[in-house]
Amino acid sequence: MPSGSEPRRSAPALRPILRLAAIAVGAALILSFPAIAGNPYMVTVGIGILNYAVLATAWNFVGGFTGYISLGHGALSGLGAYATALLVTVAGLPSFAALLVAAALVAALAIPIGAAALRVRGASFVIVSIALVLILVLVFQSWESLTGGSRGLVVPRPFPALHRAEHHRVFFFLFAGLLALALAAWWLIDRSRFGLGLKAIREDEDKSEALGIPTFTYKLVVFVVSAALTALGGGLYALWFGDLDPVFQFSVLNGSTVVLMALLGGVRHLFGPMLGALVVGAGLEYAKLEYGDTPLHLVATGLVLGVVVMVMPDGVIPALSSLVRRLFGPREASIREVTAAELLEGRRRAPPPPPEPAPPRDDAAEVSR
Amino acid sequence: MVSGALVFQSLVLGVLLGGLYALLAAGLTLYFGVMRVVMIAHSAFLILAAYLAWYFHRETGLDPLLSLPITVPLFFACGVAIQRLLLARLRPATRTMMSVLLTFSIALVIEGALGTVFTGTQRRLQLPYSGASLELFGARVAVVKLAAFAMAAAAMLALYLVMTRTRFGHALRATIQHPEAAQLVGIQTARVAGYGFGLGLATAAIGGTALALDSTIYPSLHWRWIGPLMAIIVVGGLGSVVGTAIAAMVLGMAMSLLQIPLGTTWAQTVFYLALFATLAVRPQGFFGGRLAKRF
Amino acid sequence: MSASPAASPAPTARLEAVGLTRSFGGVTALSDATVRFHPGKVNAVIGPNGSGKTTLFNCITGMIKPDAGRVTYRGHDITGQAPHRIARAGIGRSFQLCRVFPRMTVLDNLLVAVCPRGLEAQLASSRGRDDIDRARGWLARMGIDHLETTEARNLSWGQQKLLELAGVLMADPETILLDEPAGGVNPALIGRIGTLVRELNAEGKTFVIVEHNMDMVMTICDHIVVFDRGRPIAEGPPAVIRSDPSVLEAYLGA
Repeated sequence: MPSGSEPRRSAPALRPILRLAAIAVGAALILSFPAIAGNPYMVTVGIGILNYAVLATAWNFVGGFTGYISLGHGALSGLGAYATALLVTVAGLPSFAALLVAAALVAALAIPIGAAALRVRGASFVIVSIALVLILVLVFQSWESLTGGSRGLVVPRPFPALHRAEHHRVFFFLFAGLLALALAAWWLIDRSRFGLGLKAIREDEDKSEALGIPTFTYKLVVFVVSAALTALGGGLYALWFGDLDPVFQFSVLNGSTVVLMALLGGVRHLFGPMLGALVVGAGLEYAKLEYGDTPLHLVATGLVLGVVVMVMPDGVIPALSSLVRRLFGPREASIREVTAAELLEGRRRAPPPPPEPAPPRDDAAEVSR
Repeated sequence: MVSGALVFQSLVLGVLLGGLYALLAAGLTLYFGVMRVVMIAHSAFLILAAYLAWYFHRETGLDPLLSLPITVPLFFACGVAIQRLLLARLRPATRTMMSVLLTFSIALVIEGALGTVFTGTQRRLQLPYSGASLELFGARVAVVKLAAFAMAAAAMLALYLVMTRTRFGHALRATIQHPEAAQLVGIQTARVAGYGFGLGLATAAIGGTALALDSTIYPSLHWRWIGPLMAIIVVGGLGSVVGTAIAAMVLGMAMSLLQIPLGTTWAQTVFYLALFATLAVRPQGFFGGRLAKRF
Repeated sequence: MSASPAASPAPTARLEAVGLTRSFGGVTALSDATVRFHPGKVNAVIGPNGSGKTTLFNCITGMIKPDAGRVTYRGHDITGQAPHRIARAGIGRSFQLCRVFPRMTVLDNLLVAVCPRGLEAQLASSRGRDDIDRARGWLARMGIDHLETTEARNLSWGQQKLLELAGVLMADPETILLDEPAGGVNPALIGRIGTLVRELNAEGKTFVIVEHNMDMVMTICDHIVVFDRGRPIAEGPPAVIRSDPSVLEAYLGA
């Protein structure tokens, strides 16, 4: 019985135009946000959400395409942040050069990490990803001479001349640009043969290998791309925020919040993680204002994550769109009604072959199935 | 040069530590064996049990071990409920991944609840024998560590007897090894899976109480435990309780010995190193035998 | 890797397993098994359950490594190579419990089988005109082209079998291993699959089929290998096998 992936009845030529228009409107809204926002605090909230959106989209290269759930991407963003910071403070590189070099370093590091982690699947992979974050917290907290340990590491601002509000404005646009880069890369892979292969890995890894897809290489490549983008997000955050603390940077909680955002928004959609970041980010900000920094926000995060996993594992977008379709779409009968004409048409295209003459059954009878 | 007495002391402590780890990790590997579920909330339940033991002692003044008749059945029921009401409802195709997120969310809720009810202040059980220690073959061993080890040993023995001598235990092992075959011989795998989970959380109740005897507890403590415990079950072989016990002893002793040159913090890395080494060299674990699964 | 349909059967598509041995715990699935399949023909591997047939397939396609022995294809040793390498070398394979990509559409299931080579091909659109036309061709040949946009999980078992077969063919292999293509399928469809195999064989493809359905085997196969307890016990054309007493004994266990 055909599923909801049937082409819609609406005019097919209109859809790409509508989609482009929606994207243009969205982009315009985002770019004009600092002007609309009114005060620098709101701009920082916007930056926080954009940062989450970058991390969630970057995570979604692995989670969305291959189906491997990594709870360890916090490790990669943390490494990006610290690498950027150390390249500026210790190696003396200019800020944005440090950012790019840091991302390249993390991407290079992601090759052996990915090679080890991706050899296993399912539960073991998740365990490895969590272990990665936990061990990095341990290392970075203990290695005080290098990282300042629990006292934190201060990163000099890239534009010391700018005053606060301007600094936030500039970084808002930088983050928006990074998000655009991440979205473009995701879109490119999504429509490509590489992306289709990754999605096949998600559906049935052994079967895709039997069809000729070099599954390990594919997974590793997308993991490195994901790591690079995540590291860029972490590094840009370091340049903007200016102060790094290992417990916050290498946080399984942060990493999982990012996963929640991607899941909530929908991992199979380009804008899913971004929308999830918007919803959850705004929610977190609101909760922080209402409840202060109490443990209640943990309870809230946990409950929302639990509900999403149980009720809408595909994310809000598919859940909403099926709801919308049910309320506003053309009335579909529960059993697909096939008219006589359609049945005839179907039969004409694939005529049932004439039945084979029944052979003597004796020698086949004793063959056990 | 390091003195022989110090090494011996570390070895003894390592054995005691390993025994405790074995109990703490046993439940974790059970959940995996029964349902291919990575129960991240297990360590959160450990901390919850520790808080309950501390709270019981604070309110009643009685020894926290006396709280076990309450907490063990409570946790057992919780485990059955979680398995039947939540985990069993996940789509089989993505169950392993989704269970990680689901149990992670449970862990968050527990941590948040503990923080809200008990605040973030660090707590510690003050028992009459908290500071006492014994001479054991020339090593000074804290009584609470011995008590924790004794609890762990007793619980592991009980677990072993249940799994090998009772009908339920046989059904559980059958379900772990091959759920379809178990169903074919008439085992109610759904119900057995639920009880298996309950058993896992029951061990958490005992383990958490043992942990409370000698640890300072705070709501986010579970993050310190989940890494090493997961490492233990992978090294031991996912799904195998025996493998977990052996891995726990080995890693517990290793960590204790490494504390001499490296200090506590860096010694903890031995768990992660063992984890990565296992996944690189022999992903199905070293000690699990045929019961151990790959993932 | 694409063999043009009009070419004569490639005599060098020689698939051989020599001395394969594989145990799982205490169970010996393959015991010093040596099989030389006839290229350009429809080969069959038959035998009682547990005789090692699927393990043989798994060893050939690289899904498991044999404990001992070699697999060679076109003269090259392919033992223990990664499955995707073997697939790209020209050996395609279907599974005993039909495997398709459940949440992808029928068309996408086939488009996955395009084997892109090189960075540019990898990043090119998965919906290229040529690929889609080729996929539609196979779907039409299987008679399921009207299901193009249906998700594979919504197909009937028989339709999924056809889809799996179409996917394997889309990758354009020279040699095709089919693991119980008639399993759980109605007689009319079995006939259709059998006809298809003979047609494709005439177009140059070599087949190795594991099957329990004796009618199908005897009708469409040129060369039959009988397995029992991990090794071949007889081989030959259908007429010879049909009357071989050791074969009857293996099946009846007399």
